[in-house]
Amino acid sequence: MIYLKNIYKAYKQGTFEVEVLKNINLTIEQGEFVSIMGPSGSGKSTLMNIIGCLDRPTYGEYILNDVNILHAEESKMALIRNKYIGFVFQHFHLLPRLSSLQNVELPLLYGGIKKRERYERAKEALIKVGLGERLHYLPNQLSGGQKQRVAIARAIVTQPKFILADEPTGALDSKSSKQVMDILSKLNMDGTTVIIITHDIEVASYASRQILIKDGELVQDGRGRNEFLRQH
Amino acid sequence: MNFLDSIKIAFSSILSHKMRSILTMLGIIIGVGSIITIVAIGQGGSMVLKSQFVGSGNNTLEIIFQPDENSLSTGSTMDFSTFTPEDLFQLKHLPGISHVIPTNTSTELLSINDQQVNTNVKGITKDYYVVNSIHIISGKKFSENDFSQSNNVVLINQKAEKEFFKGSKSIGKIVEIRGQPFQIIGVYKTNAIFGVETPEMLIPLSVWPATFGTENIQSLTIQVKNINKVEKTGKEAVEMLNKLKSPELKGKYQIVNLAALKKGLTKVTDIMTMIIAGIAGISLVVGGVGVMNIMLVSVTERTREIGIRKALGASRGKILLQFLIEAMMLTLIGGIIGIALGVGGAFIVSSFAHWPPLISLKVIVGGVLFSMSLGIVFGLLPANKAAKLEPIEALRYEE
Repeated sequence: MIYLKNIYKAYKQGTFEVEVLKNINLTIEQGEFVSIMGPSGSGKSTLMNIIGCLDRPTYGEYILNDVNILHAEESKMALIRNKYIGFVFQHFHLLPRLSSLQNVELPLLYGGIKKRERYERAKEALIKVGLGERLHYLPNQLSGGQKQRVAIARAIVTQPKFILADEPTGALDSKSSKQVMDILSKLNMDGTTVIIITHDIEVASYASRQILIKDGELVQDGRGRNEFLRQH
Repeated sequence: MNFLDSIKIAFSSILSHKMRSILTMLGIIIGVGSIITIVAIGQGGSMVLKSQFVGSGNNTLEIIFQPDENSLSTGSTMDFSTFTPEDLFQLKHLPGISHVIPTNTSTELLSINDQQVNTNVKGITKDYYVVNSIHIISGKKFSENDFSQSNNVVLINQKAEKEFFKGSKSIGKIVEIRGQPFQIIGVYKTNAIFGVETPEMLIPLSVWPATFGTENIQSLTIQVKNINKVEKTGKEAVEMLNKLKSPELKGKYQIVNLAALKKGLTKVTDIMTMIIAGIAGISLVVGGVGVMNIMLVSVTERTREIGIRKALGASRGKILLQFLIEAMMLTLIGGIIGIALGVGGAFIVSSFAHWPPLISLKVIVGGVLFSMSLGIVFGLLPANKAAKLEPIEALRYEE
């Protein structure tokens, strides 16, 4: 489903060119639970941005569901983000003036879904993450864990091809972290592809496949939780 | 996402920053309001000006005597007769003319009840009513007898009554003009021109010679029978007068075209209105720049929001539309408030100036459309800035 070949990404910093990603080759199939780990500055966020169609590789091939992203137009990228990808961010990124329900409805709004269906689907997604009682709460009336669950509901409401979670537990206490990871695990068991970017081994251990990035290069790609954890 | 959803998003964004939205709108409110007020006042004023010509239909002409320039400098023309009773008699018998309306005017310093006021005294004939409507408020008009028997009677206008009698009863009282006693028989209403009303009195023209010691007529208006022959008849009348005039009278008779005068006056007020409205229009543009500034600030402030929306699938076009609609809503709401205030302002000013406010639908519709287009024009820059934000930059932005 996700097919990355010879991905290379460089940023210009003044007169220098900083290579952030070098020759990344990666294939992720439907239904996988993948964690991408790496120390800060390793390039994992850039990789996430490329996989999430928020950024483009300098060169290389990224084929998502048979669409070559390198040459896609901006509006096509927006459509792909809307239809195929569900984002979960470290700092939740909920719109502060919208209720839980309205926040979850947003991707459907941009997807052109009618009002009645929007409401039903958003409500359903919020029930799925255990927030059926807090449909009309504003983000500042919710705890961190609850906010992240709203964000997960927003990510799954469009029934995307995969969920892309960037440090989803980075701003949460351990109890809320476990809750969030349990929800993501359950979603994966129901068939959703989940990709988590993290530097937390505890979080990475939920995934069935662990990828390690160092200095812009993919250094390890292992399957099975225990094997990976033994090595680190 | 349809258009209605975009409007809802824009509206909720405006509502969530109430204070800022109102301040942003202020420039538009003042601009639209002042344009509406100014145009209403201007049109009301030009209507009042036009109403000064009421009764002077298209078939009346005023004839004046235009002295030669060199005779003017000697100052002698004032003593000459401009129209003689013989002129009047001949004009009345010209076939195309239905009425000849002579009037004399003199500004007199009258003293009544210890009040000394400069007053316009006009001598009129019964035909005066053909061109000028006189609204009697109290008392009565001149009768046939007053004209034919040269009665010493006078009509005064409201202003004169106010100046001389300060609210006490004026009818039946005696006014002394050039030593002659006149009895007040009625009070009539005159329209104020630009809020200025002068004291005025009417006396029968037949008593003018006995009062002012001259039989000469200063001003002459003729009414033509056939509306299609106004110019031709006027020409004939002037030719005849020029033939009749005494040789020592240097100058010639001419026609004052009231219609042309009216047109000219209307044009002047229209130009005035347009100039002032133009200045108000500039303030509206300044208001538009204010909207643009606030929108630019708002885009920076909402960088993260834009990033989130983009990550969730909003295309550039949708972000552009969202901010454009927001700017348009700001100016539209401002415009509507401005119209309400402008209409109110026009009524207030007109109540002071004593003329009716003319609120034209054209100006209101134009004001709404113009303020909306201001929103589009000045919203374009900020909206484009928002649309062009890269999603990863926007998401990284620290609030």
